[in-house]
Amino acid sequence: MEFAGSDRLRPAGRSLAAATALKILVAGGFGAGKTTLVGTISEIRPLHTEELLSDRGMGVDDISGVETKVTTTVALDFGRITIREDLWLYLFGTPGQDRFWFMWDELSLGALGAVVIADTRRLQDCFPAVDYFEQRSLPFVVAVNCFDGARRHDPAKVRRALGLDELTPVVMCDARNRASVKDVLTTLVTHAVGAAYQSVP
Amino acid sequence: MERHETVTDEDPGPLVRLFGLTGGRARPPGETFDLVAIVRTSRLPFEPAGLNPEHQTILSICRRPTPVADVAAQLGLPLNITRVLLGDLRSDGLVTIDPPQTADQTIDERTYREVLHGIRRL
Repeated sequence: MEFAGSDRLRPAGRSLAAATALKILVAGGFGAGKTTLVGTISEIRPLHTEELLSDRGMGVDDISGVETKVTTTVALDFGRITIREDLWLYLFGTPGQDRFWFMWDELSLGALGAVVIADTRRLQDCFPAVDYFEQRSLPFVVAVNCFDGARRHDPAKVRRALGLDELTPVVMCDARNRASVKDVLTTLVTHAVGAAYQSVP
Repeated sequence: MERHETVTDEDPGPLVRLFGLTGGRARPPGETFDLVAIVRTSRLPFEPAGLNPEHQTILSICRRPTPVADVAAQLGLPLNITRVLLGDLRSDGLVTIDPPQTADQTIDERTYREVLHGIRRL
Protein backbone atom coordinates (compact mmCIF):
# COMPACT_ATOMS: atom_id res chain seq x y z
CA MET A 1 0.00 0.00 0.00
CA GLU A 2 1.41 3.33 -1.00
CA PHE A 3 0.78 6.51 0.88
CA ALA A 4 1.28 9.31 -1.56
CA GLY A 5 3.06 12.11 0.18
CA SER A 6 3.08 10.38 3.53
CA ASP A 7 6.66 11.48 4.10
CA ARG A 8 5.76 15.11 3.75
CA LEU A 9 4.90 17.26 6.68
CA ARG A 10 1.22 17.76 7.23
CA PRO A 11 0.17 21.28 6.33
CA ALA A 12 -0.07 23.30 9.49
CA GLY A 13 -3.49 23.96 10.89
CA ARG A 14 -5.30 21.27 8.93
CA SER A 15 -8.04 19.53 10.82
CA LEU A 16 -6.86 16.20 9.46
CA ALA A 17 -3.69 16.50 11.48
CA ALA A 18 -5.86 16.43 14.61
CA ALA A 19 -7.16 13.35 16.35
CA THR A 20 -10.08 11.90 14.43
CA ALA A 21 -12.64 9.23 15.23
CA LEU A 22 -14.76 7.84 12.42
CA LYS A 23 -18.11 6.15 12.96
CA ILE A 24 -19.51 3.12 11.22
CA LEU A 25 -22.99 1.94 12.17
CA VAL A 26 -23.92 -1.72 12.32
CA ALA A 27 -27.63 -2.27 11.86
CA GLY A 28 -29.90 -5.23 11.28
CA GLY A 29 -32.74 -7.14 12.80
CA PHE A 30 -32.76 -8.62 16.27
CA GLY A 31 -30.33 -11.54 16.43
CA ALA A 32 -28.94 -10.92 12.94
CA GLY A 33 -25.40 -10.78 14.29
CA LYS A 34 -24.68 -7.09 15.03
CA THR A 35 -22.97 -7.72 18.35
CA THR A 36 -21.09 -10.70 16.92
CA LEU A 37 -19.75 -8.68 14.00
CA VAL A 38 -18.58 -5.84 16.23
CA GLY A 39 -16.92 -8.31 18.61
CA THR A 40 -15.18 -10.16 15.77
CA ILE A 41 -13.36 -7.12 14.45
CA SER A 42 -12.92 -4.90 17.51
CA GLU A 43 -9.42 -4.72 18.97
CA ILE A 44 -10.93 -4.43 22.40
CA ARG A 45 -13.74 -6.36 23.96
CA PRO A 46 -16.75 -4.35 22.82
CA LEU A 47 -17.28 -1.48 25.18
CA HIS A 48 -20.63 -1.03 26.69
CA THR A 49 -22.31 2.14 27.70
CA GLU A 50 -25.84 3.28 28.23
CA GLU A 51 -27.97 6.21 27.33
CA LEU A 52 -30.58 7.15 29.87
CA LEU A 53 -33.84 8.10 28.32
CA SER A 54 -36.60 10.31 29.48
CA ASP A 55 -40.21 10.16 28.38
CA ARG A 56 -39.45 13.23 26.37
CA GLY A 57 -36.35 11.71 24.85
CA MET A 58 -38.28 8.71 23.70
CA GLY A 59 -40.44 10.91 21.55
CA VAL A 60 -43.63 9.89 23.27
CA ASP A 61 -46.20 12.46 22.37
CA ASP A 62 -48.71 14.12 24.63
CA ILE A 63 -46.20 14.89 27.34
CA SER A 64 -46.32 18.64 27.05
CA GLY A 65 -45.89 20.17 30.43
CA VAL A 66 -44.87 16.91 32.01
CA GLU A 67 -41.55 17.09 33.71
CA THR A 68 -38.82 14.98 32.20
CA LYS A 69 -38.65 11.62 33.87
CA VAL A 70 -36.09 8.98 33.16
CA THR A 71 -37.68 5.62 32.55
CA THR A 72 -35.45 3.60 30.28
CA THR A 73 -31.86 2.96 29.42
CA VAL A 74 -30.72 1.96 25.95
CA ALA A 75 -27.59 -0.17 25.89
CA LEU A 76 -25.07 0.80 23.30
CA ASP A 77 -22.24 -1.54 22.42
CA PHE A 78 -19.33 -0.36 20.42
CA GLY A 79 -16.01 -1.63 19.17
CA ARG A 80 -12.87 0.17 18.18
CA ILE A 81 -10.15 -0.24 15.59
CA THR A 82 -7.06 1.93 15.96
CA ILE A 83 -5.82 2.86 12.50
CA ARG A 84 -2.86 4.82 13.82
CA GLU A 85 -2.18 7.12 16.71
CA ASP A 86 -5.07 9.57 16.90
CA LEU A 87 -7.11 7.94 14.13
CA TRP A 88 -9.81 5.50 15.20
CA LEU A 89 -12.67 3.67 13.61
CA TYR A 90 -15.66 3.08 15.88
CA LEU A 91 -18.33 0.51 15.18
CA PHE A 92 -21.67 1.18 16.84
CA GLY A 93 -24.36 -1.46 17.04
CA THR A 94 -27.65 0.35 16.56
CA PRO A 95 -30.43 -0.11 19.10
CA GLY A 96 -32.98 -2.56 17.80
CA GLN A 97 -36.35 -1.15 18.70
CA ASP A 98 -38.13 1.25 16.42
CA ARG A 99 -38.79 3.69 19.20
CA PHE A 100 -35.09 4.36 19.48
CA TRP A 101 -34.85 5.87 15.98
CA PHE A 102 -33.85 9.18 17.50
CA MET A 103 -30.62 7.56 18.62
CA TRP A 104 -29.99 6.47 15.06
CA ASP A 105 -30.25 10.12 14.05
CA GLU A 106 -27.44 10.97 16.36
CA LEU A 107 -25.36 7.93 15.51
CA SER A 108 -25.66 8.50 11.77
CA LEU A 109 -24.73 12.17 11.93
CA GLY A 110 -21.30 12.50 10.37
CA ALA A 111 -20.93 8.71 10.08
CA LEU A 112 -18.75 7.26 7.39
CA GLY A 113 -21.37 4.66 6.51
CA ALA A 114 -23.30 1.66 7.72
CA VAL A 115 -23.35 -2.10 7.52
CA VAL A 116 -26.83 -3.62 7.36
CA ILE A 117 -26.66 -7.25 8.41
CA ALA A 118 -29.28 -9.36 6.69
CA ASP A 119 -30.40 -12.69 8.04
CA THR A 120 -31.81 -14.54 5.03
CA ARG A 121 -34.29 -16.36 7.24
CA ARG A 122 -35.79 -13.01 8.20
CA LEU A 123 -34.84 -10.70 5.41
CA GLN A 124 -37.72 -8.37 6.15
CA ASP A 125 -36.15 -7.48 9.51
CA CYS A 126 -33.61 -5.25 7.82
CA PHE A 127 -36.12 -3.29 5.72
CA PRO A 128 -36.34 -0.47 8.28
CA ALA A 129 -32.55 -0.04 8.36
CA VAL A 130 -32.31 -0.04 4.55
CA ASP A 131 -35.10 2.52 4.32
CA TYR A 132 -33.51 4.67 6.98
CA PHE A 133 -30.07 4.82 5.37
CA GLU A 134 -31.53 5.37 1.90
CA GLN A 135 -33.58 8.29 3.15
CA ARG A 136 -30.55 9.79 4.88
CA SER A 137 -28.31 9.13 1.88
CA LEU A 138 -25.84 7.45 4.21
CA PRO A 139 -23.70 4.99 2.21
CA PHE A 140 -24.26 1.41 3.31
CA VAL A 141 -23.49 -2.15 2.36
CA VAL A 142 -25.70 -5.15 2.97
CA ALA A 143 -23.85 -8.04 4.60
CA VAL A 144 -25.76 -11.28 4.27
CA ASN A 145 -24.84 -13.25 7.36
CA CYS A 146 -24.39 -16.87 6.35
CA PHE A 147 -25.13 -18.87 9.46
CA ASP A 148 -24.48 -22.56 9.62
CA GLY A 149 -27.27 -24.28 7.82
CA ALA A 150 -28.65 -21.05 6.45
CA ARG A 151 -29.30 -21.32 2.76
CA ARG A 152 -26.69 -19.66 0.60
CA HIS A 153 -28.40 -16.81 -1.07
CA ASP A 154 -27.75 -15.34 -4.43
CA PRO A 155 -26.71 -11.68 -3.89
CA ALA A 156 -28.84 -10.70 -6.86
CA LYS A 157 -31.91 -12.17 -5.17
CA VAL A 158 -31.17 -10.34 -1.93
CA ARG A 159 -30.70 -7.11 -3.86
CA ARG A 160 -34.04 -7.61 -5.56
CA ALA A 161 -35.84 -8.59 -2.37
CA LEU A 162 -34.55 -5.48 -0.59
CA GLY A 163 -35.17 -3.22 -3.57
CA LEU A 164 -31.58 -1.98 -3.59
CA ASP A 165 -30.11 0.13 -6.34
CA GLU A 166 -27.28 -1.25 -8.44
CA LEU A 167 -24.61 0.71 -6.60
CA THR A 168 -25.20 -0.60 -3.10
CA PRO A 169 -22.84 -3.53 -2.49
CA VAL A 170 -24.26 -6.84 -1.27
CA VAL A 171 -21.66 -9.12 0.27
CA MET A 172 -21.89 -12.58 1.79
CA CYS A 173 -20.34 -12.71 5.24
CA ASP A 174 -19.81 -14.76 8.34
CA ALA A 175 -20.01 -12.35 11.27
CA ARG A 176 -17.84 -14.70 13.36
CA ASN A 177 -15.02 -14.70 10.84
CA ARG A 178 -12.53 -11.88 10.99
CA ALA A 179 -11.38 -12.09 7.37
CA SER A 180 -15.00 -12.01 6.29
CA VAL A 181 -15.80 -8.96 8.45
CA LYS A 182 -12.69 -7.21 7.12
CA ASP A 183 -14.06 -7.75 3.62
CA VAL A 184 -17.35 -6.18 4.65
CA LEU A 185 -15.64 -3.12 6.14
CA THR A 186 -13.23 -2.55 3.26
CA THR A 187 -16.17 -2.85 0.86
CA LEU A 188 -18.04 -0.24 2.87
CA VAL A 189 -15.12 2.18 3.12
CA THR A 190 -14.44 1.87 -0.60
CA HIS A 191 -18.12 2.32 -1.41
CA ALA A 192 -18.52 5.28 0.94
CA VAL A 193 -15.44 7.33 0.14
CA GLY A 194 -13.30 5.44 -2.35
CA ALA A 195 -15.23 6.36 -5.46
CA ALA A 196 -14.22 10.00 -5.18
CA TYR A 197 -10.57 9.07 -5.23
CA GLN A 198 -10.66 6.20 -7.68
CA SER A 199 -12.01 8.43 -10.41
CA VAL A 200 -8.91 10.61 -10.11
CA PRO A 201 -6.32 9.41 -12.67
CA MET B 1 -29.28 -12.89 23.65
CA GLU B 2 -29.08 -9.26 22.78
CA ARG B 3 -30.50 -6.91 25.29
CA HIS B 4 -31.11 -3.38 24.23
CA GLU B 5 -33.07 -1.88 27.00
CA THR B 6 -33.68 -2.21 30.65
CA VAL B 7 -36.82 -0.78 32.07
CA THR B 8 -35.82 0.79 35.32
CA ASP B 9 -38.86 2.68 36.49
CA GLU B 10 -39.37 0.30 39.39
CA ASP B 11 -36.00 1.05 40.90
CA PRO B 12 -35.00 4.65 40.42
CA GLY B 13 -32.20 4.45 42.99
CA PRO B 14 -29.16 4.36 40.69
CA LEU B 15 -30.67 6.97 38.40
CA VAL B 16 -31.24 9.35 41.26
CA ARG B 17 -27.61 8.92 42.22
CA LEU B 18 -26.45 9.48 38.65
CA PHE B 19 -28.47 12.61 38.20
CA GLY B 20 -27.12 13.72 41.54
CA LEU B 21 -23.78 13.90 39.75
CA THR B 22 -25.22 16.32 37.25
CA GLY B 23 -27.37 18.31 39.62
CA GLY B 24 -30.45 16.84 37.95
CA ARG B 25 -29.51 18.00 34.49
CA ALA B 26 -30.05 15.66 31.55
CA ARG B 27 -28.43 17.84 28.87
CA PRO B 28 -24.94 19.32 28.81
CA PRO B 29 -24.55 23.09 28.82
CA GLY B 30 -23.42 24.79 25.62
CA GLU B 31 -22.98 23.56 22.10
CA THR B 32 -23.90 19.92 21.40
CA PHE B 33 -21.18 17.43 20.68
CA ASP B 34 -20.97 14.10 18.95
CA LEU B 35 -20.53 10.63 20.44
CA VAL B 36 -17.08 10.46 18.92
CA ALA B 37 -16.08 14.10 19.35
CA ILE B 38 -12.50 14.29 20.59
CA VAL B 39 -12.04 15.56 24.15
CA ARG B 40 -8.76 17.00 25.37
CA THR B 41 -7.80 18.24 28.79
CA SER B 42 -6.64 21.78 28.20
CA ARG B 43 -5.52 22.64 31.70
CA LEU B 44 -5.67 21.26 35.19
CA PRO B 45 -7.61 23.25 37.75
CA PHE B 46 -5.85 25.30 40.41
CA GLU B 47 -8.32 24.05 42.95
CA PRO B 48 -9.25 20.48 42.11
CA ALA B 49 -11.18 20.35 45.38
CA GLY B 50 -14.09 21.97 43.57
CA LEU B 51 -14.42 19.00 41.26
CA ASN B 52 -16.03 15.66 41.99
CA PRO B 53 -14.03 12.44 41.44
CA GLU B 54 -15.70 11.80 38.08
CA HIS B 55 -14.61 15.21 36.79
CA GLN B 56 -11.08 14.50 37.94
CA THR B 57 -11.07 11.08 36.27
CA ILE B 58 -12.18 12.69 32.99
CA LEU B 59 -9.35 15.22 33.20
CA SER B 60 -6.93 12.35 33.71
CA ILE B 61 -8.33 10.25 30.82
CA CYS B 62 -8.38 13.17 28.41
CA ARG B 63 -4.75 14.16 28.80
CA ARG B 64 -4.60 12.02 25.68
CA PRO B 65 -7.20 13.02 23.08
CA THR B 66 -10.13 10.66 23.68
CA PRO B 67 -13.53 10.30 21.95
CA VAL B 68 -16.62 10.93 24.08
CA ALA B 69 -17.86 7.32 23.82
CA ASP B 70 -14.57 6.04 25.20
CA VAL B 71 -14.68 8.50 28.08
CA ALA B 72 -18.15 7.18 29.02
CA ALA B 73 -17.03 3.57 28.79
CA GLN B 74 -13.92 4.19 30.86
CA LEU B 75 -15.92 6.06 33.49
CA GLY B 76 -18.58 3.37 33.50
CA LEU B 77 -21.26 6.06 33.31
CA PRO B 78 -24.15 6.48 30.87
CA LEU B 79 -23.43 8.65 27.88
CA ASN B 80 -25.70 11.51 28.73
CA ILE B 81 -24.40 11.74 32.28
CA THR B 82 -20.87 11.75 30.86
CA ARG B 83 -21.87 14.48 28.46
CA VAL B 84 -23.18 16.71 31.20
CA LEU B 85 -19.93 16.29 33.11
CA LEU B 86 -17.94 17.01 29.94
CA GLY B 87 -20.07 20.08 29.30
CA ASP B 88 -19.30 21.34 32.81
CA LEU B 89 -15.58 20.89 32.30
CA ARG B 90 -15.80 22.67 28.97
CA SER B 91 -17.67 25.58 30.56
CA ASP B 92 -14.88 25.78 33.12
CA GLY B 93 -12.29 25.86 30.35
CA LEU B 94 -10.70 22.62 31.52
CA VAL B 95 -11.38 20.55 28.40
CA THR B 96 -11.90 21.25 24.71
CA ILE B 97 -14.39 19.21 22.68
CA ASP B 98 -14.15 19.17 18.89
CA PRO B 99 -17.29 20.37 17.12
CA PRO B 100 -19.27 17.81 15.09
CA GLN B 101 -17.84 17.13 11.66
CA THR B 102 -19.24 15.34 8.66
CA ALA B 103 -17.36 12.35 7.27
CA ASP B 104 -16.28 14.26 4.19
CA GLN B 105 -14.73 16.92 6.40
CA THR B 106 -12.63 14.34 8.20
CA ILE B 107 -11.67 12.02 5.37
CA ASP B 108 -9.25 12.91 2.64
CA GLU B 109 -7.59 10.50 0.26
CA ARG B 110 -4.71 9.83 2.58
CA THR B 111 -7.01 9.06 5.52
CA TYR B 112 -9.14 6.84 3.30
CA ARG B 113 -6.09 4.81 2.29
CA GLU B 114 -4.89 4.62 5.88
CA VAL B 115 -8.28 3.32 7.00
CA LEU B 116 -8.37 0.68 4.26
CA HIS B 117 -4.84 -0.40 5.07
CA GLY B 118 -5.60 -0.42 8.80
CA ILE B 119 -8.58 -2.75 8.34
CA ARG B 120 -6.69 -5.10 6.02
CA ARG B 121 -3.79 -5.58 8.37
CA LEU B 122 -5.98 -6.57 11.32
